[in-house]
Amino acid sequence: MENNDKDKGADKAKEAKKAAMKELRAQRKTMIAAASTKMKEQKKDIKAIKKNLNGQTATIPEIAEAIDMPKDKTLWYMATMKKYGQIVEGPKEGVFFKYFLSESDKTQEKAEV
Amino acid sequence: MVSTHIKKFDTLVVGGGIAGLQTALDLGDQGYKVAIVEKDASIGGKMIRLSKVFPTLDCASCITTPKMSAAAHHENITLFTYCNLTSLDHDTSSEALGVKAVIIQNPRYVDPDKCIGCRQCEYVCPIYVSDEEQGGLSATKAISIPFSNAIPQLPIMDIENCMLCGQCEKVCPTNAIDYFQKPEEFIILAKTAIITTGFELLPKEDNFQYGNGKIPNVVDSLQMERLLAPHGPYNRVLRPSDGMEPDSIAYVQCAGSRDKSMGVSYCSRVCCMYAIKQAMLLSGSLPLADITIYYMDIRAFGKGYEQFYQNAKAMGIEFIKGKVAKIDEGENGSAIVRYENQDGSGIVTANHDLVVLSMGMIPGWNPEPICPVSKDSDHFITSIKPKISPVLTNMNDFFVAGAAAGPKDIVDTVTESGSAAMEAAKFMSNSIMEN
Repeated sequence: MENNDKDKGADKAKEAKKAAMKELRAQRKTMIAAASTKMKEQKKDIKAIKKNLNGQTATIPEIAEAIDMPKDKTLWYMATMKKYGQIVEGPKEGVFFKYFLSESDKTQEKAEV
Repeated sequence: MVSTHIKKFDTLVVGGGIAGLQTALDLGDQGYKVAIVEKDASIGGKMIRLSKVFPTLDCASCITTPKMSAAAHHENITLFTYCNLTSLDHDTSSEALGVKAVIIQNPRYVDPDKCIGCRQCEYVCPIYVSDEEQGGLSATKAISIPFSNAIPQLPIMDIENCMLCGQCEKVCPTNAIDYFQKPEEFIILAKTAIITTGFELLPKEDNFQYGNGKIPNVVDSLQMERLLAPHGPYNRVLRPSDGMEPDSIAYVQCAGSRDKSMGVSYCSRVCCMYAIKQAMLLSGSLPLADITIYYMDIRAFGKGYEQFYQNAKAMGIEFIKGKVAKIDEGENGSAIVRYENQDGSGIVTANHDLVVLSMGMIPGWNPEPICPVSKDSDHFITSIKPKISPVLTNMNDFFVAGAAAGPKDIVDTVTESGSAAMEAAKFMSNSIMEN
């Protein structure tokens, strides 16, 4: 009996949270749409960078040229991917550093291919 | 807005940078109860964002982090971060202590009592946003802890970039994510207030002679601090436009300071020294690079500063006396600097891979209309006795310390902070004796 009451209470709380989330989504509709678009673009850009780095090392200008992305934007992504452990900095070639995929991302990339 | 709570302290410190932390620690150690109110998500101010400090070249983080930690763990100090001050004035109510501040606690969308700072939310968040803590040179996530040694270790959710995908909520081991958090208002009553609101750099976007911030490899001095910091955006000095290791770097002094057209007619005092410091650090990390400092005159005013300047010259850093008139975008990401050399060689143009603007310092906080404390014509807080007690303001229970009263270096800021703590303690003990 007591357990049944507890379950009912939990279900009610779940329902209330679901309704509140729905309302919040409606309130932030425009922001959510803009964020979703941004996320999709970023995902595409990062995928292109990773694909280009699959099995090879490359400098920022080389990656930028290969995927047709501005060099500053490529560097912005590369700095971020390095921070989150997706790529690793390699040796220097001339005035540029080379980068390659980290071990965990190599495996992931292979699986996706 | 949620109902108003009242909290009582001996002293309210406005600003949690090095000045605020030192003031709070000096008062807290004497047994006074202190509240620090900080607008950012972490205490530490500008100093925690610096690479090293002049003239000792000590690691800035190694000095600031222990102070941050000491304040956070001090039994007499309470931190209120990510807050907005909406009013700060004398208090005339029945519960009056002397000072009343109305404060809004901004929502982090994370329950501070439940969060353990594990960053799982940050790692799973799928959206990247420009990381202003790194001068916008790399990205962080839409929910993230501001920087690695931030205090408190609490993430902030950027709701403008949040899709409400629920991934952070799912992964959080302590159910700390709260999408429904609202701003909360509270009141602080105190006997004294100390303003330690620091400075900001004049935005480079305002300087049309130097490209309005649109020339890719023209950065400001705080961005260069991040490039030089071990936890910087690239973990080394690279050119933001293409990741090239720069071979020729120039500093443009008085970029905004001592320039009436920019609204900053005063000298910002620290730019000469921090430019020399950065130049020395650059020559350490890029030994083959040519480093040039374009200056009007070098102001090496403090103990050991002149020697520091002479050391920089001996290291091969080139000092050119001449005011830079214009910077244009050159080929392959270079910046073309045009200046009149004061050695008589006339108008000269030079190409550099990277240019750093030593932008002028402006006040970090405008008290109007929040607080009736008086401002000078330069918009910094007025010191009514600048020679014998620079921490006194026109309000008898309000004190000021650090760059809130005018541009100054860390040494002078820390000294002034001790003085402000002493004046506030004196005011409070006199009040007790009078009563």
